[in-house]
Amino acid sequence: MADRRLERFLKRFGDVRGHEARAAQSLSAFFFLITATFYIIKPVKESFLIGFAAPRWWSYADLATALLIGFVVALNARLLDRLPRRTYLTASLLFFIASILVFWYVFGIRLGGLVSSPVADASGMLFFLWAQDFVSASWPAPVLAFSLWADVFIAMSVTQFWISVNDIFDPHQAKRLVGLFVTGGLFGGIAGASAAALMTFARVIEADDLLLVCPVLLALAVVMVNVIYAGQRKFDASAGDERLAASPKVGILESSRIVRRDRYLRLLAAMVAAAIVAGSLINYQFKTVVKSFYQNDQTRTSFIAVFFLAILVVSAAIHLLTTGRVLKSYGIRWAIAVAPAVLLAASATVFLIPAGAMLIWALAVRGGDKMFDNTLSQSVRELLYVPVAADVKYKAKVFIDVFVNKFATGLAAGLFLVLQYVRQFDYRPDTLSGKLAVIQEIGVLALAVLALWLVLTRLVYGKYPAELKKDLRRIWKPGQEVLDDNLDTRLVSDVFEAIKNRDRSEALYLMNIFDLVKANSLTPEMKELLGIKRDEIKARNMDALFESGSAGSLYPGLADENIQREIDLIYLLPSYQKIMDENLGRIVGSSSDVDRIEAANSICRMAPSSPTMDALAKLLQDPSPDVVLYALNSAAVHRRPEHAPLVLRQLANPMAVGDAQTALAAYGPDAVDLVAPLLRSAGEPPEVRRAVPEVLARIGTQEAADLLVTELARRRDDMEQPLVEALSKIRAERPRVRFREQDLRPELRFLIRKACDVLLDPPGPPDAAKAALDIRLRRVFDLLTLLYPREDIVNDYQHILQGTPRSVDYALEHLDNLLDREDKELLFPLIEDLPDRERVLRLKKALRLK
Amino acid sequence: MVIKSRELGNVVIFDIQGEIIRTDTAQEALHSLVQAQLDRGRRNVLLDLGGVEFIDSFGVGQILASYISTQNLGGKLKLCRISNKLLLIFQITMLHKVLDIHEDCDRALESFGKT
Repeated sequence: MADRRLERFLKRFGDVRGHEARAAQSLSAFFFLITATFYIIKPVKESFLIGFAAPRWWSYADLATALLIGFVVALNARLLDRLPRRTYLTASLLFFIASILVFWYVFGIRLGGLVSSPVADASGMLFFLWAQDFVSASWPAPVLAFSLWADVFIAMSVTQFWISVNDIFDPHQAKRLVGLFVTGGLFGGIAGASAAALMTFARVIEADDLLLVCPVLLALAVVMVNVIYAGQRKFDASAGDERLAASPKVGILESSRIVRRDRYLRLLAAMVAAAIVAGSLINYQFKTVVKSFYQNDQTRTSFIAVFFLAILVVSAAIHLLTTGRVLKSYGIRWAIAVAPAVLLAASATVFLIPAGAMLIWALAVRGGDKMFDNTLSQSVRELLYVPVAADVKYKAKVFIDVFVNKFATGLAAGLFLVLQYVRQFDYRPDTLSGKLAVIQEIGVLALAVLALWLVLTRLVYGKYPAELKKDLRRIWKPGQEVLDDNLDTRLVSDVFEAIKNRDRSEALYLMNIFDLVKANSLTPEMKELLGIKRDEIKARNMDALFESGSAGSLYPGLADENIQREIDLIYLLPSYQKIMDENLGRIVGSSSDVDRIEAANSICRMAPSSPTMDALAKLLQDPSPDVVLYALNSAAVHRRPEHAPLVLRQLANPMAVGDAQTALAAYGPDAVDLVAPLLRSAGEPPEVRRAVPEVLARIGTQEAADLLVTELARRRDDMEQPLVEALSKIRAERPRVRFREQDLRPELRFLIRKACDVLLDPPGPPDAAKAALDIRLRRVFDLLTLLYPREDIVNDYQHILQGTPRSVDYALEHLDNLLDREDKELLFPLIEDLPDRERVLRLKKALRLK
Repeated sequence: MVIKSRELGNVVIFDIQGEIIRTDTAQEALHSLVQAQLDRGRRNVLLDLGGVEFIDSFGVGQILASYISTQNLGGKLKLCRISNKLLLIFQITMLHKVLDIHEDCDRALESFGKT
């Protein structure tokens, strides 16, 4: 009951389902505490750096962070390798708690003349005096060290948080829950920044004393980590999940190698780097402006805290109102480009503003950058890791989030230092117009990097769908493909006919064997049967199938090429034709089925004289289905227009429909005009109309495909299945045939809506409804193959039907990025794993029903 | 030809008697019976050919069409109790490499659980 209430509450912030609720809540709380801590530390760090250090020191601080981070990552990797995840996270949080107390102590010595000492005796006093002297002598080094430490803290703790998310949830879950986590982070940031702003603004507390709030928050984070992993252990034990047990090892060299080898990860790393460099340059502009507008430490710290608070409040509002919608409606494709595009436009205005508006401009651009970073960009960045294989993702993410991130910060610092040196910023007049010129010069560089970022977003997205489908292999081959790969179905049919005819007519039997030998498609086993090891065959109780005196002993002769040639020549002899012309009529009129079958079979080898074709016409109307079968085969060879109506008539014959379809397809493109009227005529029997699409599929021309699409648009229930199957067959076998989106899209939507109707208004008991829905979905996916890459759609369909939970997620994510927005809205509630009630609600919403 | 269907667990079993051949007597073809079961959402089909004396090319066509329809939906079609004579023909025509053929039906049924 409590779980349900929790689920209902969390659903307001993200798509939380069932058993995920508790873990999702704990992870959100964990993220809340981390970001709250950071947003208390951040204004102190920024204010101290701006106030106590000259601009070049800003770059040195960033460069030092970039250099140090390599060691930190290596240490992180080693500890991840050696320690259980829960122990590692707990230990690192305890480390941050201890170190924050040290910084508070050091700042207290410098700023507040702190006289307390850990040990209140003579040696303690000595230590304090030494510390005071040391801090004064090394100032502002402690500020730089604190800046370094803060960067390490945020990089490590955020990475550790997302690692925990990856530990607990699979990619599709993570995608659904990412909104909830980001919300937790935003609220944490708001809480932290609010506390900092209020306390410094009201002068309740000195700037450095803010740090004392942080150990309390981090201690709560320690508790949360232990709750998360304790709960996960229970879940793993019951579900047999080995995600935690098999935590991959991370090494910096291996991580960098993984990223270097993979083009997608390289692009992702480059995109992240460009975003960081752009953000850092924007931050240098911001710091330059703030330094010139705010001189007092307390005011500056308060201003920065309020600024971050405002960013976070706006971020939270935007995140709750738009992030999910933008991602759902436009997908990663467009969401990924929003931040660089908007920042590019906003940054360009630096050349248009007056010096007096500099602070507003800096607040807007830096605020925009941070806001995107907190909302859309963060969500998108995490989602871009979804298609990466679990073991690779883990290592690559650590490398990109920490190492690449800080390398980019270092690069930006280096660029800023060079620019500062080349353009001599230190010697510029300390006036508003002088500062405007400085931020404009930084702006040129920032614009270039923002443009690069925008380009990289397109490159990353270009690779994203390919990454998603990389691990989606076919689960099963389509039935026809299996047969085509393993069998010659024509040969199989001929063999069975030969065996059947053995008892009926030796002549017919020999004709069959002759055809088989001539086709040179006999298997060794068949040849064996024909005469080489007859005794063995007898021993296997094959009755008198190929006994002495029949084809068994004739096989060596039939296999002789000269004899084959001679037999062919006999058929071409004018005298043979004359005799057959005179006698075929009699044979065809015979009361013996065997006579007529032999005639129907032989006609395919005869010259198409008028009497022969007349005889074939009669045979095509024969009452015996066996005769008709051979006659249809002969009609397929001669392809005479006068036989077409007779062949068409056989479409109504359930015993001959397959051979009639083959014969009509043999007529080639001309048959399209022959069968089109049947398809359109309401007067034709349904079985005839339903047999026509297969003929068109076998013809497989553009005209045939267009005709099928046109017929589909007539939306006749009884024709839907054969039409969709025929179109799908053309798509599979004739990749050059094109389908017009404007013709197919409405039909696709119509079919999806019909599938929705099955769910909203089930046609019977649950089993029947599910079966009906399966059929509808099958047709929907068949049609999707006409509009999107066939292989991808088939793979996605198979994984949705029979994949593992993880592969189903990948398939859904792939479709999410592939399909048209409206198609997705209608289709996803049908194929996602949802509770029935929610499925119906979503469908109604998508269909705009009450 | 007489075809009776029954269900055992999640498997639809078709007990077939007589000959699966092209004939002029009106009767429902095997493939349409299998298709009807697939349309009902069944995905595991077993053809018990113990009572089948002969199959012609039409009959093979029916079995292959049933196989294709089942496979396309991710289902399984298996054969059991096939006569030695038919088995040999199936082997000659390589059908044994495509179709899952079992000597007795119990084993065939068991194998549905394993796949």
